[in-house]
Amino acid sequence: MADSKHPDTSLKQPKIETRSRLGGVDIDRPAMQYDYTNFYFGAGEDSFALLDPFDAWWSEAEPEGYYQYESPLQSAPTTRVDVLDKKTGQVRAGLINFASYNYLGLSYREEVKEAIKAAVDVYGGGASGSPILSGTTALHKELSEEVARFKLKEGALIFPTGYSANVGTIAGLMRSGDLIVADQWAHASIVDGMILSKATSRFFRHNNVEDLERKLSGFNGKKLVVVEGVYSMDGDMPPLRDIVAVAKKHGARVMIDEAHSAFVFGDNGRGVVEELDLEEEVDIHLGTFSKSLGGQGGYTAGSLKLINYLRGFSRSRFFSCALAPTVAAGILAALRLAKTEPQLRTRLWDNVRFMKAKLDEDGVPTGVSASQVIPIMVRDDARIFEMGEAIFRAGVFINPVKYPAVPKHKSRFRMSISAAHTHEDLEQGATLIAGVLRDFGVCQ
Amino acid sequence: MPVAAGRYVFTTGVSAFFEMPTSDARRILPEHLEPVEVTHQRSILAVTAFHFTESVAGPYVELMFSVIVPPVPGWWRQRQHPKAGFYPFLAATSSDESRLHRNEGFSIPHIADDIDAQFVESAGTLQVSVWSHSGPVVDLTVTQHKWESTTHLLHTFMVDGKRRLKSNVQISGRYTVHENERGRMTLHHHPMTTALTLDEISPYPFREHWLKDGVELFHPLETL
Repeated sequence: MADSKHPDTSLKQPKIETRSRLGGVDIDRPAMQYDYTNFYFGAGEDSFALLDPFDAWWSEAEPEGYYQYESPLQSAPTTRVDVLDKKTGQVRAGLINFASYNYLGLSYREEVKEAIKAAVDVYGGGASGSPILSGTTALHKELSEEVARFKLKEGALIFPTGYSANVGTIAGLMRSGDLIVADQWAHASIVDGMILSKATSRFFRHNNVEDLERKLSGFNGKKLVVVEGVYSMDGDMPPLRDIVAVAKKHGARVMIDEAHSAFVFGDNGRGVVEELDLEEEVDIHLGTFSKSLGGQGGYTAGSLKLINYLRGFSRSRFFSCALAPTVAAGILAALRLAKTEPQLRTRLWDNVRFMKAKLDEDGVPTGVSASQVIPIMVRDDARIFEMGEAIFRAGVFINPVKYPAVPKHKSRFRMSISAAHTHEDLEQGATLIAGVLRDFGVCQ
Repeated sequence: MPVAAGRYVFTTGVSAFFEMPTSDARRILPEHLEPVEVTHQRSILAVTAFHFTESVAGPYVELMFSVIVPPVPGWWRQRQHPKAGFYPFLAATSSDESRLHRNEGFSIPHIADDIDAQFVESAGTLQVSVWSHSGPVVDLTVTQHKWESTTHLLHTFMVDGKRRLKSNVQISGRYTVHENERGRMTLHHHPMTTALTLDEISPYPFREHWLKDGVELFHPLETL
């Protein structure tokens, strides 16, 4: 029963008040105070219970900023791109591209396009079958052998995506009763592989070797430690030597996902493991073709015994259609260019140094990156989409990243540098971005 | 008659989220509730402490341990979609009156002991220490990010025998939240922590909520 001193207790329905801008946060736009996580779980009996609330939220959130994803490109992912502005319906031409993973600029090289065209003439469109049935062509076999030779491993297995490579490798190897310990920022495909394996899963604090040791301690049974070569949101690297030492001490096998580091790190491009001279110490080498090689798919490389075993137990591979032969042909051509043109890596790292120096000079905060992935740390979840729109209209194509993809208030723009960028692209892009961030008070 | 709704004015409130084993969460939760997992096999323990200066039970401090669960989807256009769901499995307060009020009014289990708490703010950091005559319960530190004014709608789930209950909770006030992992918690061996596998609970909050000068409204209990 409400009394006169506490009249609010008689409220039957809560009402969320909206106020005008307070404390720098625009709460006239309450949709922007919510995000995907608020619609992930929901109690109730109906499997569609979340659809109406989500749809109503989305109808307000999309026009207010969430539209900045899935903007269709109208051109190849070169250093300048034409992108459809979903808000206006107009195509914005010649934007400086920092959004694509084309780290070596290989996806649109003439050699790659010619290889793809030649494959079309022989194989047509798709593979039309699982790799263990009719989907393996001579091109697939050639690709897996070439990847194994490149990685200096006995064998390699080709997967239709990087996602399926992680899922199929982890779930193909580990079982209920085993232990998998991964870095807390491990990619979703690693996490999903852990879930599918039904093994006990633990996560250690990012790059914290002491915590890894705690998580491995006291477990009797099969153990696997999973890390990445370069973490895709911060662009930083793991303390791999220490991680390998701790894993070996506890009898754990080590797997590294070099999605963002293969073909760009190391003198020969064999990744962080080559850079740190740990190629033999790491047991499972995983990577993707969609980043530096500009194609699609993933691989797992290692001992022949490992590859033969995974061939029989990686469900994500053999229950999927094989890579399109045209894609395999393009990857093969790109891989050969990555091997024979080390100057691409030299140019990439020169560009990375140049861009970091330029961003530093402009006072743009760039986090802890040690790679070609440079986060531009905005740390303002409420306004990152406004900034993203302003940067887009200023002439730069770059993706905003906010919670839940990164922790709350660690929102950022993720910048991908390519060997194909010119210094002029980089300088102009940095100036445009810094100008917008200055307007928003992110930098001076 | 038990009080069916409550208004609580607070000077300071903190709610920090920690990873906990899903096996603990499932053991604590009634069968109709599922834990929200932050990562595979890791659920969320919310440690909440408030310094209330006005309430139907007078001023008091409260410590509450909850497992985060899915809320009931609400209708967005009427601003009734909740931000989160809590299952408060154990609480403690600093007075008999407040304990009776929260226990009987909202079916939130309490330990019988009075607690005392200290909230010390300095240089953007809040240190909260809670203890009872049995010894220390928790020492918790949270840090600030950007302060703003906000209103949150939350769902709190309780059980009373076989009755499944829910209360809408609206919290308004000055508010800061972040996930910079700058906070820290020590959970002590205490009658309040016996349901938890202490070694398996992260000592670092992955999300730190800190509130000042606000009001918490518990709306009438609904039977689900």
